[in-house]
Amino acid sequence: MPRAYPLPTDLSPATVTNTKSLVRIVAFALISGAAIASRLFAVINFESIIHEFDPWFNYRATRVLASKGFYEFWNWFDPTAWYPLGRVVGGTIYPGLMATSGVIYNFLQAIHIPVDIRNICVMLAPGFSALTAWSTYMFTKEMKDESAGLLAAAFIGIVPGYISRSVAGSYDNEAIAIFLLMFTFFLWIKALKQGSALFGTLAAVFYFYMVAAWGGYAFITNMIPLHALALLLMGRFTNRLYVAYSSWYAIGTLASMQVPFVGFQPVRTSEHMGALGVFGLLQIVAFVQLVRSHVSSKQFNNLLFALAVGAGVVGTVAIVGLTYMGWIAPWTGRFYSLWDTGYAKKYIPIIASVSEHQPTAWPSFFMDLHFLIFLFPAGVVLCFRELRDEHIFVIIYALVGSYFAGVMVRLMLTLTPVVCISAAIALSTVLDTYIDPSEPDLPVPEADETSGPSETTTDAPKKTKKDKTAPPPTSSGASVTELLSGMVVTPPSTSKKGAAKEKKTGIFGTDTRLAVILNAIGMLMFFVVHCTWVTSNAYSSPSVVLASHNADGLQLIDDFREAYYWLRQNTPETAVVMSWWDYGYQIAGMADRPTLVDNNTWNNTHIATVGKAMSSSEEVAYPILRKHDVDYVLVIFGGLIGYSGDDINKFLWMVRIAQGVWPDEIQEPKYFTPSGDYRVDEQASPAMRNSLMYKMSYYRFHELFGGGQATDRVRNQVMPKTGPTLDYLEEAFTSENWIVRIYQVKKEDPLGRDLKTANAFDQGKKRKRTRPPVRRRSAA
Amino acid sequence: MAIRWLRSPLLLLGILLPSLVSAAHSFENTAIVRTVELGGALVHVTTTYAIRALESGSQKYTVTLGEKEGQLTSFLEAKLKGKSDPLNVEGHPLDPTEGTYEYTVELPSALSVNGTVNLVLDTVQTHATRPWPASAGQNDGQAMLYESDLFVLSPYKTVTQRIKVRSPSPRIISHNTPEGVSFSTESVATLSGATVTYGPFSNIPESANAEFIAQHQKPVKVRYNYEHPVPEVKSLERTAEISHWGANLNIHNDVVLHNAGPTLKGQFSRIDHQTQVFHQRLAPHILPAIVLHLPPGAHSTYYLDLNGNVSTSRFRPAPSVPKAAQSNKYSVLELRPRYPLMGGWNYTFTFGWDSPLADSAGYDAKTGKYIVGVPLHTHIASSVVDKAKIKIILPEGATDVEVVTPFPPISQERSTVVTYLDTTGRPAFTFHYENLTDKHTGLIYVTYKVPLSAHLQKPKSVAVALLGLFAFALAARRVDFRLNKP
Amino acid sequence: MLLPLLALFALPAAIFAAKESTHDSLVKLAAQSGGIIKLNAQTYDLLTSPTRDWSASIQFTALDKRRRCSPCREFDPAWTAVAKAWSTVPKETRDNHFFATLDFDDGTTVFQKLGLQSAPVVLIFHPSEGSRRSANAQTPTTYDFSSGFDAEPLAEQLSSFTPIPIPYRAPVNWALWGTVGTLALVFGLTIRFLAPIFRSRWTWAALTTIISLVMTSGYMFTRIRGTPMTAADGSWIAPGFQNQYGQETTVVASIYGLLSASFLMLTLVAPLQSGSPNRQRTQIYLWSGVIMLLFSVLVSLFRVKNRGYPFKLIL
Repeated sequence: MPRAYPLPTDLSPATVTNTKSLVRIVAFALISGAAIASRLFAVINFESIIHEFDPWFNYRATRVLASKGFYEFWNWFDPTAWYPLGRVVGGTIYPGLMATSGVIYNFLQAIHIPVDIRNICVMLAPGFSALTAWSTYMFTKEMKDESAGLLAAAFIGIVPGYISRSVAGSYDNEAIAIFLLMFTFFLWIKALKQGSALFGTLAAVFYFYMVAAWGGYAFITNMIPLHALALLLMGRFTNRLYVAYSSWYAIGTLASMQVPFVGFQPVRTSEHMGALGVFGLLQIVAFVQLVRSHVSSKQFNNLLFALAVGAGVVGTVAIVGLTYMGWIAPWTGRFYSLWDTGYAKKYIPIIASVSEHQPTAWPSFFMDLHFLIFLFPAGVVLCFRELRDEHIFVIIYALVGSYFAGVMVRLMLTLTPVVCISAAIALSTVLDTYIDPSEPDLPVPEADETSGPSETTTDAPKKTKKDKTAPPPTSSGASVTELLSGMVVTPPSTSKKGAAKEKKTGIFGTDTRLAVILNAIGMLMFFVVHCTWVTSNAYSSPSVVLASHNADGLQLIDDFREAYYWLRQNTPETAVVMSWWDYGYQIAGMADRPTLVDNNTWNNTHIATVGKAMSSSEEVAYPILRKHDVDYVLVIFGGLIGYSGDDINKFLWMVRIAQGVWPDEIQEPKYFTPSGDYRVDEQASPAMRNSLMYKMSYYRFHELFGGGQATDRVRNQVMPKTGPTLDYLEEAFTSENWIVRIYQVKKEDPLGRDLKTANAFDQGKKRKRTRPPVRRRSAA
Repeated sequence: MAIRWLRSPLLLLGILLPSLVSAAHSFENTAIVRTVELGGALVHVTTTYAIRALESGSQKYTVTLGEKEGQLTSFLEAKLKGKSDPLNVEGHPLDPTEGTYEYTVELPSALSVNGTVNLVLDTVQTHATRPWPASAGQNDGQAMLYESDLFVLSPYKTVTQRIKVRSPSPRIISHNTPEGVSFSTESVATLSGATVTYGPFSNIPESANAEFIAQHQKPVKVRYNYEHPVPEVKSLERTAEISHWGANLNIHNDVVLHNAGPTLKGQFSRIDHQTQVFHQRLAPHILPAIVLHLPPGAHSTYYLDLNGNVSTSRFRPAPSVPKAAQSNKYSVLELRPRYPLMGGWNYTFTFGWDSPLADSAGYDAKTGKYIVGVPLHTHIASSVVDKAKIKIILPEGATDVEVVTPFPPISQERSTVVTYLDTTGRPAFTFHYENLTDKHTGLIYVTYKVPLSAHLQKPKSVAVALLGLFAFALAARRVDFRLNKP
Repeated sequence: MLLPLLALFALPAAIFAAKESTHDSLVKLAAQSGGIIKLNAQTYDLLTSPTRDWSASIQFTALDKRRRCSPCREFDPAWTAVAKAWSTVPKETRDNHFFATLDFDDGTTVFQKLGLQSAPVVLIFHPSEGSRRSANAQTPTTYDFSSGFDAEPLAEQLSSFTPIPIPYRAPVNWALWGTVGTLALVFGLTIRFLAPIFRSRWTWAALTTIISLVMTSGYMFTRIRGTPMTAADGSWIAPGFQNQYGQETTVVASIYGLLSASFLMLTLVAPLQSGSPNRQRTQIYLWSGVIMLLFSVLVSLFRVKNRGYPFKLIL
């Protein structure tokens, strides 16, 4: 049999296998290295710091866990959050993340390697990304082979879609969840293939870990049943499926109910009913199979079948009925909004307000997945070619994942693994085909086949043969569909026989091989460059410290920490700080002060209260502030240096959320100009200009410009000549670039006067004595 | 200082007996001149005693401080005029009946009758001044108030004495003139420029006793402008870790800084502050930054606080010099807190540095002992350290350790610290100090032995651990857990 | 064709109003026109007379074709439905709140008086006396269209101004169910013939591929945001990274599709060309070229969306 290029023939199989495993290990080490290294941009550019918002809470909780131990943490009631309600932290979080880093921390302490808990939290995500790469490798290996596995591992290691949630410092549940997701799926596939209860149980155990780690576990809870159901419908019920699913579901569900935050949801909410239903269905089918195998009578079988169907129907009806009777909670808003996409905006503005809950436009798909995004369908099709049970899983995953990713930006994360997997399958198939040195025999075949050397090459050729040996010899003019159907009907024969047959398909010549391979390599290199660029530019800034590029290089803007630290050092321990909920966790973490609302938005009314206070006038807001004994109010203001993520830009959501609760006191339209646009300058609507938020943002802002024109650099609007005045609050602290502004709420006037008049009185007296020089200049 | 003695009863017993004896009136002060250099947290007081012996062979001269100034005084040193080497001084606890602190100064040579000598007593008072008014607006100035006693107490007769109070800033806002002062011929207080002079007073009897204090002692009050902030280190926790493997001396400081100037009246206004900065007329009580002098050769310095790295700091390193060579160069670390420290504000931070061990360590071949000098504290300009806790961690397995401190600590204990890959842990010494001033610089010397086995402790333990791991892996890999063997 | 008729009614009503109480006449009007009073300038003044013990919600609209106000026509059915729902409540409560519609062509003066620039606008007038008297009776509340033109939010929000909540229930969407039913029926009938197609995995493969392609090219974004197919000026690429038009979905999806198709060609079809090496060679080069070309097109398209993107291929 002719070859495109010569192969070494003097290699013993042992050498080959050893080299292969060595190469695999080396490649894998490199992949892990790349995965970790590419996530360290944030640490190198800035420092080892916890990023943005939620991570700060996780970090705080982890510190509690590390210092006080697990039981203290388990029933930790945090009185400083959601003042004055407080929060039962132990029962309202997924403790998996904290537990993980707690264990790591204690282990390192035990072997006398004192590592700061913060560094562990920062480095957790990169570390686990390496593990994710590994589990993806294992998974893909089940789908195709090691080479595809390595490709998949490399992809998921550096693909931005996953890096975006797992750079060093983004210490969030997703950091470990994706690893757990992939590994649970791998174990499920393993269990399904071998029909082993052991792997089923392992899958259940990791499912439990996942449940403890991330709210997204519902994805697994519905993916696996979906797979099982699909197999059932395709008439692929086997005892392996039965064993795998039953062991997974029974143990997994019981285990998951041990997490306090989950509790009885697995039997009480619709999200979990699918799994239960499939479980029941499997029992019925298994029963039918069993009886059928023992009983012969035709009628009895029919009767039995009828019974089984009846039981199924009854079960379904029961579930539905229970749902209507309220025993089973209907879909929660967050999940429901995935199906009815208009739902959130109407009824849960808080969910709709979060930027990562927006639908995904195509550029972000390309940005996050680059060329994988179009290899992905090819891989799915290849899965169809040889339709093993595990391939069906990938197909379903592809469908579901791509839908969810389209609906919500953040769910890009769940799509990414399957994209990597099927893209790897596609690409490695291409490479297999074109690296395989053996050329097909020309129609006049000379039958001297030495398959020895081809075995001794890297295992790619063998695999390719295995995959597509012996389709019926088709005339070269045959149409594609014919060819495909031809391949369909012939089941993938298992190697030896195939190798023995003489080779009909393959690639002629070396140039063709080179062309395709170089093309592929080029794409891979482009992919790497792209990933590095995206990671370093888009996903590596810890929104706590901002960087601005100016004449003398990169300069840090550290206002948040400045202000938070001021709060921590120079205000009483019990001073209650009110801010918009985005900053709740940061204040708790960095300033260590009680907050009214924070990023776990469980109490809409409380948030709406803050929204109302912010969006209504001082006189209205003051009683609210006093009622909640607020001492300090904190606002984020980007107008000076053009930081666009500030509160004025978020203001409309505050209004909306407040309006949801007090529709007759707060109306969104009032905050627009008559011509219906959103302005902060002279034309700003009175409601806008009287709102507490506006006043606090722009208090004494115009003075900064001396006599000159005060301009808001975010909105690009010229501020009015006379700035707002405050009577019920006084400026307590403003950070260097004015990003964070903190105001103290005045106590009631000792003389019992209304604070406005009191203030006016003082002003009248003070006017002569203390006035900042700037005023004098601007007045002159 | 006084407090310090109170806390060490052992020393007390040894000292009480001679102190009773030395009460003999064997001297006379021909003149006492006290000069008070006013400052922020620190006040330097220099008192010159012109002594005349009344008996021969009298060598122990007693200096006394009033109760209040005794408590304020944190540093005391006696010299002969013109000489540099200090005489040794024995302090005594507060004499409750007389209300005085006594210090017995041992003169270098016994005086014959009518022999004279000029004794110079340098003391540093901490917390002797306080801002007055106690709160100031963001644009106001800063005025301090110093209170002390009119008469310098002495167990001997004094022919003439005067007190000069000198203010660092050109003008003294106000000073009091005590009424009904005895022993005074002309005006009690005269103000000239930046100096107030009280006295001269002549022919004062033995004054170091209760009834004199009750009858004649009068307060002195001087109020003056102070142009610099008044930083006060509420607590300093220094950890010095000696590592032979890294040939490194790491010094790590946790500082609680407090601006002891007048507390900020009203609220902080950023725009006013920015205007002041822009016009470079920062109000005197605002502390925008602090400058620290680190030893030469200090490297990889760090400056953190509870929220992570503080990016606003500058470090100008000086090249390392071997410990033999004397050099006046030092690395400069300029720290800028996250926010400017207004009066009464706090700021806690952490800073530290590494320096080559060779610069501060030596090895004595014949005793086989290492000797390492650890700086007692890094002085923040014109500040006082209220409480200092200095911990020195020696390498693992260091034996027969000796410690020499430049100033007697209030207390010290020994403990064991277990860190990087330690098995037995490292011996550590902790010293507690109070009211450290700019005079309290100097080195704590530690000498110890480290046997070779101790040096090899780490590699051994690590190697054993790894080997164990491999062995386990080997075993685990060869065990087959499958139920149904193929 | 009702319009002139109603105008006829309106006049006498205005005249009667002098004699009998305004309220009764309004009730009459409401009764005559099935729950919605078709207003004109005079009747408008009647309805919003300063002293009133009733509340009223008025839809200002321009339903005439010539006005070209598509939102108006979009909103009108919802309005009518809600009004109908209100007309079903018992008389004594019903007559305390009126639904009315004022078309631009009937009451231009009113529009000018209120300074209304756009339509549709819904104003709710609160009673100035009687049990439900409200402080700001003279300043009508404006209905907030932020939750769309649907009937449910309208009924929901108006209910807070009516004496009792509006008993609005969304009508069953017969059309939808009908189509579903028929489709099911057709499917059931033709299943015998379609079975092979449904059995063939390649049907499913095609289905899956198409769905995932469409989803990954931002279809849901256009659905949820309701972005148009192309911009008004015909340009089909929306500016900005987080935004896109319907057209882009089609283009991008097809590019993706072609690219993966050519990969499949290289993988599945080319190797089968064992007949003639040259044919195979040409195919391979063809598809490789296609991949290169389309990919660079895609990248340049991405550069349009993301200005900062530094890389480009041959294009």
